[in-house]
Amino acid sequence: MKRALFALCGLMASGVVLADGLQDIKDRGALRCATLTDSVPLGYQDPATREIVGLDVDLCKALAQQLGVKVELQGVAVSARIPTLISGRADVVAAALGYTKARAEQIEFSSAYYQVPIKVLVKGDSNIKTFDDFTDKRISAIKSSTPELYARQQITQAKVVGFEDAPSAFLALQQGKVQGMAMTEPAAIRFHVRSENMHFLDQALHYEPNCIGIKKGELALTAAVDKALADMEASGELQALWDKWYGEGSEFKLAREKKLTPLTDFQ
Amino acid sequence: MSIFNGFASLLQGDYLHAFLGGMALTLELFVISAVLAFLLACVLMAIRLVPGRATDVLVSAYVEYHRNVPSLVQLFVWYFGVPQLLPASTQNLINDNGGEVIFAIIALTLNAAAYVSEDLRSGFRSLPSGQTEASRALGLGYVQTLRKVLIPQAIWASAPSLVNQTLGLFKTTALAMAIGTAELMYITRQIEGETYMTFQTFAVASLFYLLGSWAIMLCGSLLQQRNQSRMAR
Amino acid sequence: MLDILHDYGPLLLIGQYPQGPLGGLALTIILALVSLIASFPIAICIGLARTSSIAPLRNAALAYTYVVRAIPLLLLIFWTYFVIPLVTGYNISGTVTMVVALVVYEGAYLGEVVRAGINAVPKGQVEAARAMGMSYSQCMRKVVLPQALFNMLPSILNQFIMITKNTSLAYLIGTQEVTFAAYQINNQLLTQPFQVYALLAGFYFVLCFSLSRLANWLERSIERKRAGVASHRTNSEAEQPVLLGQAK
Repeated sequence: MKRALFALCGLMASGVVLADGLQDIKDRGALRCATLTDSVPLGYQDPATREIVGLDVDLCKALAQQLGVKVELQGVAVSARIPTLISGRADVVAAALGYTKARAEQIEFSSAYYQVPIKVLVKGDSNIKTFDDFTDKRISAIKSSTPELYARQQITQAKVVGFEDAPSAFLALQQGKVQGMAMTEPAAIRFHVRSENMHFLDQALHYEPNCIGIKKGELALTAAVDKALADMEASGELQALWDKWYGEGSEFKLAREKKLTPLTDFQ
Repeated sequence: MSIFNGFASLLQGDYLHAFLGGMALTLELFVISAVLAFLLACVLMAIRLVPGRATDVLVSAYVEYHRNVPSLVQLFVWYFGVPQLLPASTQNLINDNGGEVIFAIIALTLNAAAYVSEDLRSGFRSLPSGQTEASRALGLGYVQTLRKVLIPQAIWASAPSLVNQTLGLFKTTALAMAIGTAELMYITRQIEGETYMTFQTFAVASLFYLLGSWAIMLCGSLLQQRNQSRMAR
Repeated sequence: MLDILHDYGPLLLIGQYPQGPLGGLALTIILALVSLIASFPIAICIGLARTSSIAPLRNAALAYTYVVRAIPLLLLIFWTYFVIPLVTGYNISGTVTMVVALVVYEGAYLGEVVRAGINAVPKGQVEAARAMGMSYSQCMRKVVLPQALFNMLPSILNQFIMITKNTSLAYLIGTQEVTFAAYQINNQLLTQPFQVYALLAGFYFVLCFSLSRLANWLERSIERKRAGVASHRTNSEAEQPVLLGQAK
């Protein structure tokens, strides 16, 4: 009897040591999903209801439904996305997370559910037309975001100033503290639409796949998320999600340029 | 050990350069704000000494605002709020000359000056009134009394609190990272974001702040010893 | 500014509740209270250790105080938020992180206040208590600490004001207290940062100014009570815990 108990404990313990996030989620009955809380319309606070809503929020809910569990939403700052996964504070992160090889060493990525250009927003009366015009000028970006990285790498003649969040980066542009703002188009489009006379430069810094982030080593969970995304794409749910937040009915009217793309296409 | 390998890679080349730049800006913010704050505090004291209720209320309002509103919020008000009120030409002037540093210095200086002026005020109040009478009896004028007798003694009397404020200012410069000032905390977070070596980057920053703060505390303790031997005479 | 207050009042006061966790000014106050109460036991231990005659204890407390007071609170918060989960495997939310960091921080500062309070109790009391046969712990518990804590009430209240202001740093790790709420409002309005941040400053001012008036009133009543007792006065209005100035 004792031996059987020991064996069972050993089996359970080994299960825990293998750190199966997917099993933990099933046991817990809830998927802990982190999104942005200040990015319209990916994840933001609805002023009327004070709830956090958005494309990534709906994606989290749909994912949880596919996995057969409830969803536990968390907010995460752009600079805390990777640490949140590494420390296990959240199971998945759906927060405009772009794939880079450096990040892939720290976390697992799902298939890319959309791909976006990273562009630079400038004021209407600015005479900047190309990246070369940024000599001795300043560009704002969110700290630890891929636009910050690419701006630093490619527009070397400009000084890149990192801010904690999107509104601060935008305010800096609006108040003339910087002459451009580097951000992914879906994240920046509301600044373009809701303010007067801001526009994007035609040149894109980078074309980046956005994926769901998962803790390193959680291969079962990654596979489950990929399968869920594939099912959602096949049923048209992913496209419907995009259309709801970015499509013709919204104020942004941004087209979803590519369908769900497996990660192998980028590696 | 991998942790020590991490340190080695951080303390060379671009990263070392970045860290040193951040430390230099921290020190720059600290020294400039400290000096300006002290001068401003003396001015505030002088205003307060002018007889009349209005000056008292004015300075009190200034002090109470800066003591009851968090430093972070003060920084935001200056960096994001105030430019909204300034004309475009002034905004451009500030922005072209490193707006983040300018606003950080303004906010830090005004904040510290409020505390320092209160400390000077307590120092003043702790002086025996006989000092004023004695110096007037010796024939010194009002301003001379202030300059040569009262103010130096007030400063010595409030020295421990002043050292405390200096220490506080040194640490508060870290908050400037929230408005984009590239001082040490900002650089630390940036490097941490690129290299993911959380422990090592924070350790480097902590070491800098520890050494800086202990240096200030040491100066304070030396000053205190000199003060005590002075008072014993 | 009044219309911002009208439109976003609930957000500023209670955050997302009930459609989410409690936030806003309510969370600010709760964070501050919980941190103060939780740091009390630590502060008393540190204060006792600093005034004890056991050298290793005294030195350990001294080291703790000197290290915690030498680094910015912001750095301490980042350490707690990013490194502790890696080291211990425990994941703590932004709110708990804030409380832990503030407790560690205040342990040092409140510890200084407790130390000053203990030192301010006349030595004659201690001698009398020991002469009556009380042990060290009895003497502390029944004679010294009650007096010390009572005399320190204004300083404790001042520390509470400092904690309240320090909770604004929670915004930088995503905790949804009142500074974060203001930032959300800014996110929506985009073109009125001055009004939003002036309003935020106003909230803190009202809260902390009231507390500081309370501290002043407390200090004056305690001074009156102590008028008959021979002890050196502590001017707590300008007093910040002094590092080295206390003659031991």
